[in-house]
Amino acid sequence: MKKKICSALMFLVILSMGAYAQKTTLTVFDYIDATAPGYAENEAIWQRFIDENPDITIVKEELSNEPFHQKLAAYVAAGTLPDVMYMYPSGRSTMLHEQKLVKDLAPLLGKDYLANFIPSVTDPSGQKGKYLAELPQSISYTTVMFTNTKLLSDLGLRVPSTYAELKAMLPKLKAKGIRPVLMANKDDWVMQSCLFSTIVGRMLGDEWIDNALAGKVKFTDKEFIKALDFVETMYKDGVIGRDTIQISYGEAPALFAEGKAAFFIDGDWRQNAFLTDPSSGKALIDPKRQQTDFEYFNFPAIPGEKNPGVASAVLGCGYGISASIPAGSDKEKAAVRLLKYLYSADVQRQYLELGRYITSRKDVKSDKLEPFTVKMAAYHDAVKKTCYVLDGALDTSIYTPLNLGLQQIGLGTKTPTQVAQSVQAAVDAWRASH
Amino acid sequence: MNQQQGVQMRGKRGKKPIRPGTILGKAVAYLVMGIFAFMTIYPLVWLFFSSFKTTTEFRTNMMGLPIDWTLENYRSAWKIGEFDKLIGNSVLYTLGSTVGITFLSLLTGFAFAKIKSKATGPIYGSFIIGILLTIQSLMVPLFLEVTSIDRGIGDFLRSLGLVGSGEFRLFHNTRFGVLIIYIGSALPVGIYMCTEYIRGIPSAIIEAAQIDGAGYFRIFRSIIVGMSKPIAMTLSILNIPSLWNEFALINILVSETNLKSLPLGIYKFSGGLSSDYGKQFAALVIGMLPMLLFYIAFRKQITAGVSMGALKE
Repeated sequence: MKKKICSALMFLVILSMGAYAQKTTLTVFDYIDATAPGYAENEAIWQRFIDENPDITIVKEELSNEPFHQKLAAYVAAGTLPDVMYMYPSGRSTMLHEQKLVKDLAPLLGKDYLANFIPSVTDPSGQKGKYLAELPQSISYTTVMFTNTKLLSDLGLRVPSTYAELKAMLPKLKAKGIRPVLMANKDDWVMQSCLFSTIVGRMLGDEWIDNALAGKVKFTDKEFIKALDFVETMYKDGVIGRDTIQISYGEAPALFAEGKAAFFIDGDWRQNAFLTDPSSGKALIDPKRQQTDFEYFNFPAIPGEKNPGVASAVLGCGYGISASIPAGSDKEKAAVRLLKYLYSADVQRQYLELGRYITSRKDVKSDKLEPFTVKMAAYHDAVKKTCYVLDGALDTSIYTPLNLGLQQIGLGTKTPTQVAQSVQAAVDAWRASH
Repeated sequence: MNQQQGVQMRGKRGKKPIRPGTILGKAVAYLVMGIFAFMTIYPLVWLFFSSFKTTTEFRTNMMGLPIDWTLENYRSAWKIGEFDKLIGNSVLYTLGSTVGITFLSLLTGFAFAKIKSKATGPIYGSFIIGILLTIQSLMVPLFLEVTSIDRGIGDFLRSLGLVGSGEFRLFHNTRFGVLIIYIGSALPVGIYMCTEYIRGIPSAIIEAAQIDGAGYFRIFRSIIVGMSKPIAMTLSILNIPSLWNEFALINILVSETNLKSLPLGIYKFSGGLSSDYGKQFAALVIGMLPMLLFYIAFRKQITAGVSMGALKE
């Protein structure tokens, strides 16, 4: 009887301890939209953390695009940053880095944990504040030449290794009414981010961009104008049709899937447009054709390049922890636990299978990947040298006239020299204000 | 116009010979209006039909009717967008704010138009200057204001031992805060419109009521409200769609899903790099439908309200 009473009392004590145990609340500001691949599955991933960690309450806010940045600016201004937030390695999250509003993740996550990631994402020099403010979930390769190899072989063509070879394909392709290179140039960032950055990387290199921002060289110098000239040449040669300026970002994948173009240039994230939609079970390109009819290649060698084989890439986004959380507190421990869960091999495997990105974690394997995802991982490995994505290296005020200028070159309404002048004017104004 | 006059006019009109110029004019007018009507209705019809396509089908069949009709987009959009939580908030914010804006605008407009005081000019001017301020310029300052007021009141109440150690909320992350900000941000235009309208009401009526012993509030309730129905209707018509679709302020003012409104739920479907068009279109139809039904139900009042509000006696 005594034993029973003791057990009952102990049970009550344990129960009451549980009831009074302090729950830690974490506010999370996440960048995601419901059209992202596997949105519903992502919600399940978060729910699993909540279920497995009853001592932590997650208050999550989701936004994307401009409203995300507007709200983050408001949070910064009010000094009410969320505990955990999604952020960029530079660019729109510059203020978080420069004002050290987020903690250094290196000591919090530990060397052993970070050893699971490819070295370039844990290298603090890649981030604006030169410390590990966020752990990049991936590296985004912004120039990928999606290639319809079946179409090429049916026409007796080979994958080009130089621009001259690409240009030489035009008569055969045009005779069949097939577009050589498809790009969604209606969105002005596409040409800059998905091709021109690589052209600049190959012809000038990252150092030249650093020097231009430091005022040592100018965007009106002939080297940069030559890079712009190459864009004009591609339009004039018909390698890229001027009508691509009318192709929106949403419609380009379907045109490529229908075999209306031999090549499609976009970023690595675009592979997910072709994958099987879990809700309908349909794919723009079914896995069998992904395996047999398509490959990814780097853009062919271009005339006057100094850095052959370079492709533009940028450190991906990731989560950071607010610097206002007291060191060693329960809240800090909860935030670290959340990050370790989100970057765990299991969660990263799920994101990889959903086609969200090619994870920066080295130990992630899956046998459920569609061929396009497997091939994208191989493409990442194949590109040995990377260069700046210009919108990641330049201020918004500088790349905005560049984006517009590249479209104007496509339309034939501005010359490369005029575009270079407008970019340099923006650089001068930016330098004057800094 | 009495009935007899009307009959005479119809009779005269009936005898009038139809001139070719009149036919041509009517044809051009119908053509222009038809084009405008088509340009308005076609995108809505296209959106409606596209919402029944899967994203994969949409990419390959953008303009045609759906081949494989699916309701899955609606099911998913409703669930992912959590519209069951948001729709009630949208109704509350829209109707609550409209009532508040209309009532306060009429009340203030009456004071500015009919109660003479030295302070009227400066106070009226301070309200009207609000018309020049854009929502975008107010977003961050408003956020700072509501969070710091909440913090201040919270600290004060905590020092008195009236509230616990948790976060105190009055304006930020509360429905009350959203309503107050919505009402406040629409008042400059409302007050301007109501003041100008009420100025047109003869002062003799008010003076007569005062002679009969009516106070200001009685005059407002019995005379001004009744005579200001057209401007109240116009104000409501202007405010209801803009409040229903308001995004910028509520995005800043609330962060919890159970306090958000439909536009925030719909925005979840706007992808930067990838687009699930099927669900996006279904979400847009869900958000648009209440406004469409509102217009269909009240189209006569809306038309009458706009035309009456446009005229001042």
